[in-house]
Amino acid sequence: MSIEVRNLVKKFDDKVVINDISFKVSDGEVLAIVGFSGSGKSTVLKLISGLIPYDSGEILTSSGDIAMVFQYSALFDSLNVFDNISFALRERKDLRKKYSKNDLQKIVAQKLELVGLKGIENKFPSELSGGMQKRVSFARAIVTNPNTILYDEPTAGLDPMSSTLIEDYIVSLKHEINAASIVVTHQMSTILRTADRVIMLYDGKIVFEGTPTDLLKQDTPYTKQFVTASLEGPMKMKA
Amino acid sequence: MISLAQYIKKSATYKIFSNIFEECIKFLNTIGQIAQIGFHLIKCILRDGISFKELAYQCERFGISSLPITLSIVGMTSIIVSSQVANEMVKQGGADFIGLLMTILIVREVGAVMSGFAITSMIGSSLASELATMRVTEQVDAIDVLSVDSVGYLFIPRVLSGIIMMPLIVIVASAIGIVLGGITSNLFSGLTYRAYFTSVWLGLYMKDLFVSIIKSAVFGGAIALISCTCGYYASGGAKGVGIATTKAVVWSFIAIVVWDMVFAMLFFF
Ligand SMILES: Nc1ncnc2c1ncn2[C@@H]1O[C@H](COP(=O)(O)OP(=O)(O)OP(=O)(O)O)[C@@H](O)[C@H]1O
Ligand SMILES: [Mg+2]
Repeated sequence: MSIEVRNLVKKFDDKVVINDISFKVSDGEVLAIVGFSGSGKSTVLKLISGLIPYDSGEILTSSGDIAMVFQYSALFDSLNVFDNISFALRERKDLRKKYSKNDLQKIVAQKLELVGLKGIENKFPSELSGGMQKRVSFARAIVTNPNTILYDEPTAGLDPMSSTLIEDYIVSLKHEINAASIVVTHQMSTILRTADRVIMLYDGKIVFEGTPTDLLKQDTPYTKQFVTASLEGPMKMKA
Repeated sequence: MISLAQYIKKSATYKIFSNIFEECIKFLNTIGQIAQIGFHLIKCILRDGISFKELAYQCERFGISSLPITLSIVGMTSIIVSSQVANEMVKQGGADFIGLLMTILIVREVGAVMSGFAITSMIGSSLASELATMRVTEQVDAIDVLSVDSVGYLFIPRVLSGIIMMPLIVIVASAIGIVLGGITSNLFSGLTYRAYFTSVWLGLYMKDLFVSIIKSAVFGGAIALISCTCGYYASGGAKGVGIATTKAVVWSFIAIVVWDMVFAMLFFF
């Protein structure tokens, strides 16, 4: 067990957004969550990371750090890239004073190289493109070597090469530190390259669960509609 | 036919009272939030200490950037008051008391209150919109997910800078106000500087200075705490940032007036 969700229910006011869902992600496994816009994917990640309270059910995570890559990067815009990435190492109670300025510089440089952005430590988020911000936020999230990682559309808005870079890194994290990861994504390439299993959300419920190959088989109305991106099918766009 | 209950619910009086009731609930809710955060901050400071680098940065922002506006507002108020007072006092034969009167007025009330209003409009609004923007762009969530206490990280340097800088601002502003009062009395009413400043000394009580310093520290802390709290609990995009900022300014103004009344009752009756 690394992440286990049981009978989770979340309402915003009277609107049920997550309606009794259960799933598991083991250590060293990547679960992809797919589903149309507004189906509750980001909400699931926020519930697991403890940012918002849930109404009923249970969420169990193994001890250790939970990291999250936000859908819209959420970089600290008053801090430069160096301070953003080293934030947890400098400000966390149990970590601060553990690293010298030199250590921090080395760690940040290494993480930046990893996301293909060497030497931009002194830039501010507003000076970066959307895709660069996304990659910096990725570097910021993984700086403490977390063992549970939640990615909210980590490759959305990235060029194909940067996407591949991030996808490869998600996979390498699962091998190297045996991380349990959840990737919310719309991108087929990301699903195929990273995911061991896929669940599809619709209307707050899980309507499909299986491997990426199962998804591609299109043998249920839901998977068929999703893979062919069709407007016809059981899932309706709602305002 | 509509029933009495429906009739009452439709009436304007009912609407007004239910609105007032709702506002009262919101009012209590906000006070609760502010108090809760205040206690949390004290706990954080005792447990984790203070980051002096960030505190220095916030002090500079609180004190230096607001100084021109604060000094102008306090200075101009002093000019206005002294021009009215001096004329009348000279006519009534009380020229010897102009400096004393101005000093008491400025040290006890004008300096701290006017500075408070100026600081609220400059610093309070900027603190609130800053934190509210961080909230709606999920930067506050990002702090929490990185296991850093977002309240401690954001509030401690900002609130402490208010407590530290506000007394300094008020002292400088009050001194300038007193001097400007002298110049105005001289220009408009022909009062000699000697007469004015001799009487200033008479009006300068240790107790007044002491109360003024405590009072401005409370104002500074309250403005920062209220503004940060309003920003921290913002929600819902650009509109939410606007609402939070308005709320911060209104609440800070109210807090200044209420605290001023409390201090007046505690120390001068
Ligand atoms: N703070 C909130 N208050 C009220 N409703 C919310 C809130 N956050 C999300 N919702 C609602 O919950 C539903 C799910 O939102 P969520 O952000 O989880 O969708 P999503 O699957 O991540 O969509 P997307 O693919 O567009 O990012 C939406 O209908 C949204 O309107
Ligand atoms: Mg989302």
